[in-house]
Amino acid sequence: MTSTAQSPPSDVDGAQPRRPAMRVRKRDGDTEPVDVNRIVTAVARWATDLDEVDPLRVATRTISGLYDGATTAELDKLSIQTAAELIGTEPQYSRLAARLLAAYVAKEVRGQEVASFSESIRYAHGLGLIADDTAAFVARHARQLDDAVDPAGDLRFEYFGLRTVADRYLLRHPRSRLVVETPQYWLLRVACGLSTTPDEAVGFYRLMSSLAYLPSSPTLFNSGTRHTQMSSCFLVDSPRDELDSIYERYHQVAKLSKFSGGIGISFTRVRGRGALIRGTNGRSNGIVPFLKTLDAGVAAVNQGGRRKGAACVYLEPWHPDVEEFLELRDNTGEEARRTHNLNLANWIPDEFMRRVEADGDWSLIDPSDAPELPDLFGEEFDAAYRVAEKKAVRTVKARDLYGRMMRTLAQTGNGWMTFKDRSNRLSNQTGVPGNTIHLSNLCTEILEVNSDTETAVCNLGSVNLGAHLTDDGVDWDRLRATVRTAVVFLDRVIDINYYPAEQAAASNPRWRPVGLGLMGLQDALFALRLPFDSAGARELSTRVQEEIFLTALETSTGLAERFGVHPAYPQTRAARGDLHPDLWGVEPTQTARWAALRDRIAAHGLRNSLLVAIAPTATIASIAGCYECIEPQVSNLFKRETMSGEFLQVNTYLVRELKARGLWTPEIRDRIKRAEGSVQGIVELPAEVRELFRTAWELPQRALIDLAAARAPYIDQSQSLNLFLSAPTIGKLSSMYLYAWKSGLKTTYYLRSRPATRIQQATVTVAPVVAADAEALACSLENPESCEACQ
Amino acid sequence: MTTVDEPRTAGRQLLLDPGMDLTLRPMRYPHFFDRFRDAIRNTWTVEEVDLHSDLADLERLSPAERHLVSRLVAFFATGDTIVANNLVLNLYQHVNSPEGRLYLSRQLFEEAVHVQFYLNLLDTYVPDEQERFAAFAAIENIPSIRRKAEFCFRWIDSVFGLRELRTRADRRAFLLNLICFAACIEGLFFYGAFAYVYFLRSRGLLNGLASGTNWVFRDESMHMAFAFDVVETARREEPDLFDADLERQVTEMLAEAVECEVQFAEDLLDQGVSGLSLKDMRAYLEHVADRRLAQLGIAPRYGAQNPFAFMDLQDVQELSNFFERRVSAYQVGVSGSVSFDDDF
Repeated sequence: MTSTAQSPPSDVDGAQPRRPAMRVRKRDGDTEPVDVNRIVTAVARWATDLDEVDPLRVATRTISGLYDGATTAELDKLSIQTAAELIGTEPQYSRLAARLLAAYVAKEVRGQEVASFSESIRYAHGLGLIADDTAAFVARHARQLDDAVDPAGDLRFEYFGLRTVADRYLLRHPRSRLVVETPQYWLLRVACGLSTTPDEAVGFYRLMSSLAYLPSSPTLFNSGTRHTQMSSCFLVDSPRDELDSIYERYHQVAKLSKFSGGIGISFTRVRGRGALIRGTNGRSNGIVPFLKTLDAGVAAVNQGGRRKGAACVYLEPWHPDVEEFLELRDNTGEEARRTHNLNLANWIPDEFMRRVEADGDWSLIDPSDAPELPDLFGEEFDAAYRVAEKKAVRTVKARDLYGRMMRTLAQTGNGWMTFKDRSNRLSNQTGVPGNTIHLSNLCTEILEVNSDTETAVCNLGSVNLGAHLTDDGVDWDRLRATVRTAVVFLDRVIDINYYPAEQAAASNPRWRPVGLGLMGLQDALFALRLPFDSAGARELSTRVQEEIFLTALETSTGLAERFGVHPAYPQTRAARGDLHPDLWGVEPTQTARWAALRDRIAAHGLRNSLLVAIAPTATIASIAGCYECIEPQVSNLFKRETMSGEFLQVNTYLVRELKARGLWTPEIRDRIKRAEGSVQGIVELPAEVRELFRTAWELPQRALIDLAAARAPYIDQSQSLNLFLSAPTIGKLSSMYLYAWKSGLKTTYYLRSRPATRIQQATVTVAPVVAADAEALACSLENPESCEACQ
Repeated sequence: MTTVDEPRTAGRQLLLDPGMDLTLRPMRYPHFFDRFRDAIRNTWTVEEVDLHSDLADLERLSPAERHLVSRLVAFFATGDTIVANNLVLNLYQHVNSPEGRLYLSRQLFEEAVHVQFYLNLLDTYVPDEQERFAAFAAIENIPSIRRKAEFCFRWIDSVFGLRELRTRADRRAFLLNLICFAACIEGLFFYGAFAYVYFLRSRGLLNGLASGTNWVFRDESMHMAFAFDVVETARREEPDLFDADLERQVTEMLAEAVECEVQFAEDLLDQGVSGLSLKDMRAYLEHVADRRLAQLGIAPRYGAQNPFAFMDLQDVQELSNFFERRVSAYQVGVSGSVSFDDDF
């Protein structure tokens, strides 16, 4: 490269786009001059309905970043990237970038002589990627399936979503690594993998292609392939207190991780440090060294190159190693006692919280002295714990330990607070003694019984509420239709699923639990102009959840009518007529439908022991282009960092609002950026608009907990509830989590906080540094002697 | 205005007055102490950075990108050590405030962590021992890196002989050294290097390098802000240290730094990297230089705009999918005690 070839006109957006010196290399090796008009034409083709997009701007900026002698493929990729980089100034560029990417992907697929869906399946089957039965099914119904592919489907994607799909979900040629399916072929393949008739497949494909519902990632990765592991979550009971069992668990976790599952595993049964080992007459080193091994094992498993394995370890707070457990994620201290890849969660009995409140003592008890404790909950646990306290290894102040938990949350976001008694008492699966939920899962939304020989499994999917809106509010008919389809296909996974471990295969067919979730709540609240902490928001969120749960139960009893109840049905509370809202003691709003449902359940039972769980939807919400699960927006302007790169996300509802008021200007954008995505300083906006567009950091967290508690009677598992405090203190956290417990929540998830200081912004306008002036200095707490302000 | 090169008259104690002030109460510069405490809350360790996926990425880089990365890590191999040396040899000696020195001690620790990070990075990226030695000897072998190093050494040497800042000329020389390290080295050379890392990151490449660099970048931002705070404090105490002549020297110094960094860019981008043209890189560096001038209250020299949208991305809040990346947003020191009626 010479610098002359690189010295273009001064202004990238300027009037002189044509630079004859720059040449690109074509696929056949010839070079040709870069032609700005050709790029403009190629871009304009995808922008006919995008009135704010300027194809010339994309073309000139693309050329500015190019080097002499680049390939045409590099040029195509750069134009996609360039369009994506303009999203911050105009969100429509997100659609443009997505379409350019879809065109690029389509070209790659066509380049391998694949011109239709059925050809793509045949090709991928030949490469060993597709299951024989799916390949046969598609071959049998090739015409109907090929005709079903919706050419407009790709137009619905935003850039971040499609980039994620293209980089990680589409099947690739094992050697060339070229994608062998387009995004629409992929969704149709997923549908075919779960269908028995072509009509069914087409119906499910249409639902997914509309982005109104998406199954979880393992289903999207693996349906129709040779390894149909489609479940998201596995809940592994604590190893027994012996070496063989611990190493068996490592093996099981590795197998479950390999095919995209997330792992929850308890360690409560394993004896603590200092406990006697009779076989050798030595003393145990406790659970930390074993967790260190688990940590390495989890990191070693690469989920098909798509993401690293992930696991969360659960421990009850009476375990003698609990303090060391809480330090596992600290970033200082001895590395041998740190596990950077494991997530941590506390599995907390009510007795602990009561003693925290009463400022009482708390006994740490070795599980080898009280092996019954992990299997007990409620009053039985309380009684057994009090007896076992006589054998306590150590006694601490309950508040000191609680404070330590809060510090771990603040410093690492980890050490999630999940509540054992509530989770068990309000579960459909704990209808008879001996069935106990021992932990939650990687994302704290799944609560299922398990044991030494049975690993609980759950497969998930989420409804996109944002795609079920009309001008007047929620489209209830459409929502019901979506839920019905979703439950049928979640149930279907249970039978088709490949179980990587025998313990998982032993549990899932007995209980047949599924986890239907929700995403895009924030989209609905923006669209309906309901602030997150308003009574209207709470009403809507509860009403939506009731509708989803009710419809899911109706569908499940319908499935039971056709295929029979799940085998463990007699052990459930539903078998005795207690449905989840009854356990909460709430009165549902749709009384007639609930009454009819009760009759049907009494007659036919249920096909599934559990139906609803609100998962975090990190990836599928991106694909659907909506806000994650039940979460408020984190910022009006933020970036996502993933394996695919970094992506700017702009609140398009806000942009629309600002545009309507003539406020979408570089100056306002700069101010929002400087305020880290907050609009509270944009005084040009009326107060109620600023209120609507508050971020998670600006909302009272009490409101998030209240919303969660209000919808909880209609969630028979649990919800991944993140809480947000930009500057957490022990006082705030201890108040907040006590409130969460008292509200009756079964689980909470991450505590999100922000760094103490941040990288200096590199692109917003700067002012000269002003050293602390005399007034500020006088008021500093570090300078009490000279402070007069408060005297 | 005081006479040139006369010893400074001792009235009340000034920041650049010679000495080893030990008195933390009453605190003269609490804002330095606040920065010290903020820095502690940002503690991170090299072990937290997972370079695992980088090794796979290195395999898929084009030859041009691989050349870029190898030059870049060669620069990182020595960059922070030079900064640490100047801190010990020059800054610590002359910033006569115990709370200021607390911050500098902390900064020194951070520089050491950065050195360790890049050491670990090179050991991981460059398995061949001979190649690795060559990377660490970059300032001898690679002209574009040597030129930057020489620029740094020249400014270290400019005040190295000064045991005490007695005269106006001494103090101005010291300020130029301080500004050089803050604005040119941490504020321009490193910002240039970060741009390459973030370019790769925006393409989904070398996440490990990027997440470590994120933390390095956060630290460097603070170092620069502290240095500018010192400059501003000295300016408030002794306005006569600043005049058009000093501004001219600063502007020239930055211009020279831009040229050094452009030469480095020519080397890095030698084989053509799509999306990162030399012209855009120059505009970015000029834009950064203008920002440094603006922060010092000096008129911009270039009037350049930032052409890199991926650098815009560094200015907005991050949200990571925990399945994929470790979140860098948590704080170390959290205070308070258990209570049940705090607002949340």
